Amino acid sequence: MRLILAVIVCKLLRFVGGLVGKGSSLPGQFALKICPDALGRVKLPAHIIAVTGSNGKTSTVEMIAEILKKDGRRVVYNKEGSNQIEGVATLILSHCTPGGKLRGGVLLLESDERYARHTFKWFHPTHFVITNLYRDQLTRNGHPEWVYDAIRDAIHPDTTMVLNADDPLVSCFAREHDPAKVKWFGLDECSVSTKEHRGVYHDGARCPVCKGRMEYSCYHYAHIGHFSCPACGHRRHEADFAVTALDLKEGRLTINGKTEISLAFKSIYNVYNILAAWSVCALAGADEAVMAGVIDSYLLKNGRMVTFRLGKHRGTLLTSKHENSVAYDTNLGYIAATDKPCTVLVIVDAISRKYFTGETSWLWDIDFERLNVPHVERVMLCGKYCDDLMLRFRYTGIPLENLGIDESVAAVARELKEHGDEDLYVVTCFSDRDKLLAHVEKD
Amino acid sequence: MELTILHLYPDCMSLYGEYANVMVLRRHLEAMEVSVTAEAALFEDEPPFERADFIYMGAGTERTQKAALAALLPHREALKAAIDRGAVVLFTGNAMELLGKSITEEESGKIWPCLGLAEFTTEETGYQVQGDVVARTSLWGSFAVGFMNKRSETYGVTTPLFQLVERGPGNAGDGEPEEGYVDGNVFATHLAGPILVKNPDFTDFLIKRIFAAKGWEAPERLPDLPWEREAYAVTLKELADQDADTPPGPYPQG
Repeated sequence: MRLILAVIVCKLLRFVGGLVGKGSSLPGQFALKICPDALGRVKLPAHIIAVTGSNGKTSTVEMIAEILKKDGRRVVYNKEGSNQIEGVATLILSHCTPGGKLRGGVLLLESDERYARHTFKWFHPTHFVITNLYRDQLTRNGHPEWVYDAIRDAIHPDTTMVLNADDPLVSCFAREHDPAKVKWFGLDECSVSTKEHRGVYHDGARCPVCKGRMEYSCYHYAHIGHFSCPACGHRRHEADFAVTALDLKEGRLTINGKTEISLAFKSIYNVYNILAAWSVCALAGADEAVMAGVIDSYLLKNGRMVTFRLGKHRGTLLTSKHENSVAYDTNLGYIAATDKPCTVLVIVDAISRKYFTGETSWLWDIDFERLNVPHVERVMLCGKYCDDLMLRFRYTGIPLENLGIDESVAAVARELKEHGDEDLYVVTCFSDRDKLLAHVEKD
Repeated sequence: MELTILHLYPDCMSLYGEYANVMVLRRHLEAMEVSVTAEAALFEDEPPFERADFIYMGAGTERTQKAALAALLPHREALKAAIDRGAVVLFTGNAMELLGKSITEEESGKIWPCLGLAEFTTEETGYQVQGDVVARTSLWGSFAVGFMNKRSETYGVTTPLFQLVERGPGNAGDGEPEEGYVDGNVFATHLAGPILVKNPDFTDFLIKRIFAAKGWEAPERLPDLPWEREAYAVTLKELADQDADTPPGPYPQG
């Protein structure tokens, strides 16, 4: 009876919330007050897929949803990205019959890496995809081993773990799990692989199990690659789902040596998102031809890249995330791989939209050295923390005469509008990007 | 003028960009025409304490911190000899905890005996102790700013580096007034990241201590490097504005 009431209240609030444009966690919060164990009582479908990790959760979930829908399943998933327990409760209860049965063949959840154990207290996923773990918003999340411990507490022994074989920390989840219930995805050594690590810090330098010196036969990016620890034997597992060939320039990859797929978005992160989605969809019994077809024609809703004009400049905004050096490094790598003369604008003004901090240590984790290339003619540093940026840039080797500093984004935008016609790249966070976009003509 | 910086375990005890502390100190020293040799020791190495004038270690994960402890314990006497000779030591983040008597794990209650170079003990917590910090010390004439991010509380410090935390957690957690540890030329703080980049007065203070230990005469006013004081002022103002109830007042003189 309580469950029925919770379902009805949740649906009602969701409907009202939809009318007034309110958030998606409130209905679930109320419903859980009425029936605290509602998530344990509802009848869930045969496939419950959860996705978590530092980066790529949302993109991977959206791709899985597309594939499974095309494969003829009814997929219930949290596209609004409210990934804590209240949001998950809203999603599940508002898609239930009054009798408490989920209307769908697949429940697909993007799960916040820190709160997964609260969500999965009442039910557990049949498949749990973990994309990667690295330094991300350390002020809020803490370091990757804290996040690892939080996820570990959420894992049920019956769940099939779908793990990134190339991430040494993610690989540790298999150590305490039934080997028959672990599936691996990974990237073979290929055109993007390097022998040397690239970046200002190396979180794979030490084995996560024994802290011995890790060896890598190749790196794909950051600490992601083919690792092995001579001291304790922790090493990369053979991938069940492997990208066996990759041409990022042409945008083509091959899965398990037979299925060729073209990449709409030519980034190494997209390769891993595709591979994660492919793996779990294959495990859920999706048809390979359908999977390949969906990914081949998949248009990534890539709001992270915006092109615009500012005076005579052709501009590209590359949205990074403050406090996430891997996101920054991707975009800096993108700029370094272009070849026309350009100006780069870096803005750090509000470190977060959601909370206050004056913490700028993460600037020292970003590989700004990547901008020390001839075609990057000038780097402009903007925002409240422009002095901190300048301090960091004074250690990149970029000549001082190529660096500019101005707290005011508006002043720099004005100056750029009136002078010059070189390409312009803007690297900043969601929290700061509108401060520039207010001054440009978007394409 | 020549001196040696010894950086302990830079490959893994640098969770918040702490490597920059060594870089900024080096640049300041070079601006004073000191010829600096920077040496790094990994877990597998025997750290060359005997020739070190400045010894630094930054923060790591709790598991890495225990590995650093295991690596450093066999060299305790060599480190102690360097301290007795007047070498300047700075341990930041959870490296500070290694100087004390012990660290106690939260769930298992397991006790890790540490270097015992200081009297304090550390207890790990199940919760995160974190926040922006503004703190004052009697050692130099300005507030220190920084960020703390730990899962532990440290008890029994009788000689804190910062006597009054104006904002943020202290050694024993939220609301505790004292932070860090100082004894002679040994300095420790749980502030994470490049605190010497953020606090040029702390850098200058350490340089004067290093000079004194070397028997060199330091100028009254050390050379400023551009943008450091501007960056410091921005952070101090931001933290003060956020905390309008208890803004740091003018720094008390004398």
